[in-house]
Parts: sequence; C-alpha cells; structure tokens
Amino acid sequence: MSGVRALRAGLGAVGCLLMAVGGWFLLVDARPGTAVPVALWLAGAVLLHDFALVPLVLAAGWVLYRLPGAGRWRGLWRAALITAGSLTLVAAPVLLRPTPANPSLLPLDYPRNWALLMVLLAAFAVAVPLAAGPAGALGRRLRKGRS
Amino acid sequence: MVSAAVAFRGRLHDPRTATVVGRWLGAALLVCFVTGVISHLLQEQPDWLLGRLPTRPVWGYRLTQGLHVATGIAAVPLLLAKLWTVYPRLFQRPAVRSWRHALERLSVGVLVAATLLELFLGLLNIAQWYVWPFSFRQVHWALAWVLVGALLLHVAVKAPQIGAHWRRRRPQPEGADPDERDRRSLLLGVAAATGAVTVVTAGQTLPLLRPLAWLAPRHPDHGSQGLPVNRTAAAARITPEMLRGWRLDVDGPRPFSLTLAELGGLPQSRAVLPITCVEGWSASALWEGVRLGELLERAGAPSGAAVRVVSLQQGGAFRTSVIGPGHARDPLTLLALRINGGVLNADHGYPARVISANRPGVLQTKWVTRLEVLA
Repeated sequence: MSGVRALRAGLGAVGCLLMAVGGWFLLVDARPGTAVPVALWLAGAVLLHDFALVPLVLAAGWVLYRLPGAGRWRGLWRAALITAGSLTLVAAPVLLRPTPANPSLLPLDYPRNWALLMVLLAAFAVAVPLAAGPAGALGRRLRKGRS
Repeated sequence: MVSAAVAFRGRLHDPRTATVVGRWLGAALLVCFVTGVISHLLQEQPDWLLGRLPTRPVWGYRLTQGLHVATGIAAVPLLLAKLWTVYPRLFQRPAVRSWRHALERLSVGVLVAATLLELFLGLLNIAQWYVWPFSFRQVHWALAWVLVGALLLHVAVKAPQIGAHWRRRRPQPEGADPDERDRRSLLLGVAAATGAVTVVTAGQTLPLLRPLAWLAPRHPDHGSQGLPVNRTAAAARITPEMLRGWRLDVDGPRPFSLTLAELGGLPQSRAVLPITCVEGWSASALWEGVRLGELLERAGAPSGAAVRVVSLQQGGAFRTSVIGPGHARDPLTLLALRINGGVLNADHGYPARVISANRPGVLQTKWVTRLEVLA
C-alpha cells in the first residue's frame, strides 16, 4: 500500500475510533435514557436543515437571480443576505428565549440590536449600487477616468 | 456523476468551493474541539491532572474558552455554506448505489447531524436556554468526539478531491474563468458573514470588541458590583438563616474555625483576576481577601495537598469543588471577601468565595462555608 493510501486508511481508522469513543460516552457514560432523545434530536437537526432551511435558501437564491440589475450587484446582495441570515440565526436564541430571572443574563436590547444590524446591511446593499450606478457620483468618476 | 432531480443552475456547487469553505470550517471545528477538551479537563480535574494544572498565565482559560465559543459561533455560517455547496447531493438519484455508497452517505449523515446539533446545543447553552431533555454537558462532550471522528473519516474519504482542489487551477485571465470571479464573491460573502457573527458576540470576552457585542448573551459591563452573575443567590437557594452565624470551618491536621470578622481581621491580599465562564464570557475584577495558602498553612496542610471547597449552595454539580496543590498555594488564590472596593454581595457569593487564576468560573466557588484538606 502506498504511503498516501496508508495515511488515508490510518486517518479513516482514527476517525472511526473517535466516533466509537463518542458513542461510548453517549451510550455508556452518560445518564441512562440519553441515547434515544439524542438520536431523535440528531435526526431533527438534519430534518430542520433539509426541509426548512434548504427551501428557504433556494427560494432566496431564486429571487436574487430575478431582481433587476441583479447581474452587477448579485454578488453584493448575496453577501448581504448571507450575512443577514447568519446574524439572524446566531441571534435567534437571545431573541426568542423567555426573559431570565437573572438580570445579568441577556442584559441587552436584542430585538433593537438585531433590527439595527438588518437596517445597516440593507442600507449598505442599497447605497453601494446607488453610489456606483450610472447616476451615482462614484459611477461618474469611474466613467470619467475610463474615457 | 450526480444526476440531480432538481436542476441547480449555479455552478458553485463544485468541489473547489466545497474545499475552500471546507477547510475554513475544518479549522474552526478543530480549534473548537481542542479548546473544548481543555475546558472539559479543567472543569473535571481528573486525578492524573490535578497535581499538574497550570496556574499561569492568568488569562489562559479566558483565551481557550473565548476561542471555543468564538469558533463555535463562526462555524455556524461556515457549516451552512459548506452544506450549501453540496445541496445537489441531497437530491441525488439513485439515493443509494451500493453498500459502500450507503456507508459513505451514512457517515456523512452522522457528520452533518452531529455538527448541526453540536453547534445548536452550544449556541443555546451560552444563552442558558435548555430546551432538550438530556444533560447538556454530557451530550456536548460525547457529540464532540462523534463529530471529530466523523470529520476525520470524511477527510480521509475525500482526500483525493481535497488534494486536487486545494490550489486554484493555473491562473487564467479573468474572462476565461467566470466561475472564479463568482466564487471569490461568494467566498467573500461567507467570510463577511463569519466575521460579522464573530464581531457581534466576541465582545463578551474580548475587551477590544466590547462596544460591538450587540448580540452577545452576556455583557461584561452589565452586572452587580461591576461583574455579571451566573448563578444568583436565589437560584442557589441561599437563605438569610444560612448566612446568620456563618463561620468558615477549615478541616485539616490542625482544624479551626473563623467568623467573618475574624477572617476580615487576617492580613488581606489583593488580586486582579478574571471570572471566565464556560459560556464564553469573561470580566476582570479587583478581589480582596485572605490568601488560601495562609489558611491552609494555619491548618497544617502538607505542601502538596489538595483542598475541597464546600458551598452553602443547595444542589448543583459544583456545590463542592477541588483545588489542586498548585492553585492552593498560588499567592493569587484568595478566599475573597470584597470585590471592586465593596463587600461581596449575595449574588457574588457573600460572605466568601474562591477566586484563582486560569480556572473556569464554575470552580470559583461562591458562598464558601468549609475547606477540607485532602490527603
């Protein structure tokens, strides 16, 4: 067996070993009655991704491809959407969790902060095409330089 | 050759994009795993480690746990982007071609499920929102190993493709490879998203980013006496009756007992030390109290002895904690009575709490009532 193949096989074997270790922690070391709920939640995570998030992302992509002027600014708007989506997912726990008894937990105004971030992203996504478009100052300067 | 039931117009669901996003994700998960194991060991303090736990640098755990939570959060957009690059595989027909193919799809399924759930558990844990019917600590630990194992297996299986697409193909004039420009734009977008989620949360432990910590579940500036509180006195079910007539009992070869006034009368030392919570936030404070080492000497504790600290707290995994010999004799380890110039309030562990360097917050026991020298 060549060196690279041996390395691959070794890596795969270590991977399987570590998975078995994790399985041991889950099945033997954890409190009894842990494994089944965890298996359900694992399946649930995949289902949530495949059947809730994937269609959403595909729909957003479909819309993005049909917006006017999308050719030039699709990359920018795509980046803004990816950023907005990621921020929203990461913010979801602090936005949705019921107010805790401990005042130093979740002390900030999260709905406001999240909304502010969305507005900033939207403003950025609109301002750049306006500035650099044919009517915009940046666009005029670019065209002047080129002629 | 993937024959998709659904036609994917975009050409970026390709091995090159998957490799580039994959290596960012892999790096984040690897750092997350290593720092996670460190955190686990520092909390569990297994016997073989107890005598060797380092007391410096003071900010050691602050760094590792800050990295752990930051890489975990950064992994969210990276994982979702990586999964996007292989969306067509969700729809591939036939679903299973052979036993080997089935096994490969199963291992990928395990990797995807474990990573999705692990990041989800971590994200909700830092907001202390426990919506699942199992122990966070046990499952988060177990899944970490499943995740890393599945990741290594995945890399081993995909090694040829990863190698082939690791480097960009020979540079071509922009026009000749339209995919490259679009790919760069997409990668920039993913990088921006990853940077954004990091910037708005890392401030809960990184002072530099504190003003931008808009979505962080904790903020170092928000808390009583200048420090956030994790377990409140109410949550620990500390009642005034418990505190009346409080004495510190020190059990050792020469046991003794002190009232709060007597404790206050002993020589006081000061230390600026951070509280670093496992949930990834940290904040520094000025602590004042009696050096633990001096109390242990008075009790006749041998120099290599560990100490058990017992709290008035009712229930909870860290009602008692053990301090190893290194920390026990460290001059920075205090039984603190005052914080930031004022007497400890109930939420911060009145009348006395342990504070030491380079240790997780859960081990900085509050409402201390007894110290036991361990042989």
